[in-house]
Amino acid sequence: MPGAGKTPRVGRRRWVKPKTIYSPAQTELDLPDTNHTQITFDFGDDVPSRPLRTKPVSEDVEQGDLFGFMAESPEPTPQIEFDGMQKPVFEVQFSDGRTARFQHANTLLESLESQDIHIEYQCREGYCGSCRTRLLEGEVHYIEEPMAWIDDDEILPCCCIPKSPLHLQ
Amino acid sequence: MAYTTFNRNDFDTFAQPMFFGEPVNVARYDQQKHKIFENLIEKQLSFFWRPEEVDLTNDRKDFIDLPEHEKHIFVSNLKYQTLLDSVQGRSPNVALLPVVSLPELETWIETWSFSETIHSRSYTHIVRNIVPNPAVVFDDITKNEHIVRRAISVTEYYDSFIHLANYYTQLGEGTHTINGETVEVTLRELKRRMYLMLVSVNVLEAIRFYVSFACSFAFAERAKMEGNAKIIKLIARDEALHLTGTQHMLQIMARGKDDPDFAVIAEECRDDVVRIFREAAEQEKGWAEYLFKDGSMIGLNKDILCKYVEYITNQRIGALGFDPVFESRNNPLPWINAWLNSDNVQVAPQEAEISSYLVGAIDSEVDTADFGDFDL
Repeated sequence: MPGAGKTPRVGRRRWVKPKTIYSPAQTELDLPDTNHTQITFDFGDDVPSRPLRTKPVSEDVEQGDLFGFMAESPEPTPQIEFDGMQKPVFEVQFSDGRTARFQHANTLLESLESQDIHIEYQCREGYCGSCRTRLLEGEVHYIEEPMAWIDDDEILPCCCIPKSPLHLQ
Repeated sequence: MAYTTFNRNDFDTFAQPMFFGEPVNVARYDQQKHKIFENLIEKQLSFFWRPEEVDLTNDRKDFIDLPEHEKHIFVSNLKYQTLLDSVQGRSPNVALLPVVSLPELETWIETWSFSETIHSRSYTHIVRNIVPNPAVVFDDITKNEHIVRRAISVTEYYDSFIHLANYYTQLGEGTHTINGETVEVTLRELKRRMYLMLVSVNVLEAIRFYVSFACSFAFAERAKMEGNAKIIKLIARDEALHLTGTQHMLQIMARGKDDPDFAVIAEECRDDVVRIFREAAEQEKGWAEYLFKDGSMIGLNKDILCKYVEYITNQRIGALGFDPVFESRNNPLPWINAWLNSDNVQVAPQEAEISSYLVGAIDSEVDTADFGDFDL
């Protein structure tokens, strides 16, 4: 307790267990279970709301895996589709033969990681330049302005998304 | 060209190169020749943190329990980092400010150097926590031959530039006789020394620091010295930004986007750049040997650290448009990326009062209520 140390002590006191206000049984019933966060999404009347996570985060797999699972899974609210407009799904090809498909992720780096293509990273915000990758073909859009130095034929996957199918080295 | 604190000449800012043009007058940021430096300033300011925000009380306990050879690794790294930040906290100001010609670059140099002083302050914060008398750590920095050797290689390019730049700002170009000694000052030689100095600064920020970072994070991987690792994480985030700054300066120079002289100098100095990187990598490997002289630590030994030095050297020299210096291509310490990732760093100074919102804090307060369900 803050400030408890300042009260003058009179004589020696035996530590007495404080009176319990709730019985253990009541505690379990009344108090919200703080270890288990439950996030629910309301999908309207026809779809029952479903829990997304019933495990404490610490028990979950490594953060990277969690990231991966999230990155290329469709979000609960689907993309708005316009008539005659293509959904931005692009193939990403590497010169060593590996391929990936960008479809739902926030950044190219997240998309590649979720498809088991590992690129060096550090800041994930575009200022350190660790994820510098050579772009052989295609175009990208930067969500955030990259600050690290990159050559004209290089991209920072941590802060961009494809604008066309990509060919990377 | 004589230095003046407020240049009253009428000149076109956009016609000025980064260095050795007209001295700066109005500190204005509404227009920039190189916008990147303005962005770097903004980013660096948004990174502001204070060492006291990180609670280190558990580190003290951890440190006492460390075996002697791990204490040596920890303290030696701390000494080395203290040296590096002592240099970086002042040298960019002393060397570059007298010859800078763009207001946004001038402010970037000041902001950059200032953030290094925060790093220095955090070392005092760490040392105070682990030893009763901080002097035993700090006093050794100028006495320990291994640290002193590092100090020489870290500062030689700075000193060589500052030495000549002092004559230039006072006397200008030409052959001067000072105290019976003949000194030849040419702008060309000054620019060459500046380019090499910036390369050595880039090496300092991009390679030398990372050896210590790897050790700090290796301790924290074993849940030891975690408070320290959180401070190092904040320092690493700043350093990543600083090295981006020097990479931009070097690339702007090398591409002739600024001062055509520098493009020629950069071309001439290509071998020197490779030599500086290679030498630094070898020195850092020697340092790794000194660190692990009494034994390795769990998760890290001399060989892995040396491979990491080679890997990071290749990465950094690649960013300047050079071919790799060493053979190794893969990161031998992949777990380090997670520690270097700033996503995990949360900064909100207004929340510093509440311990749960403290930047990277470990809550070491124990309240009597925590023992509420204990039965004796």
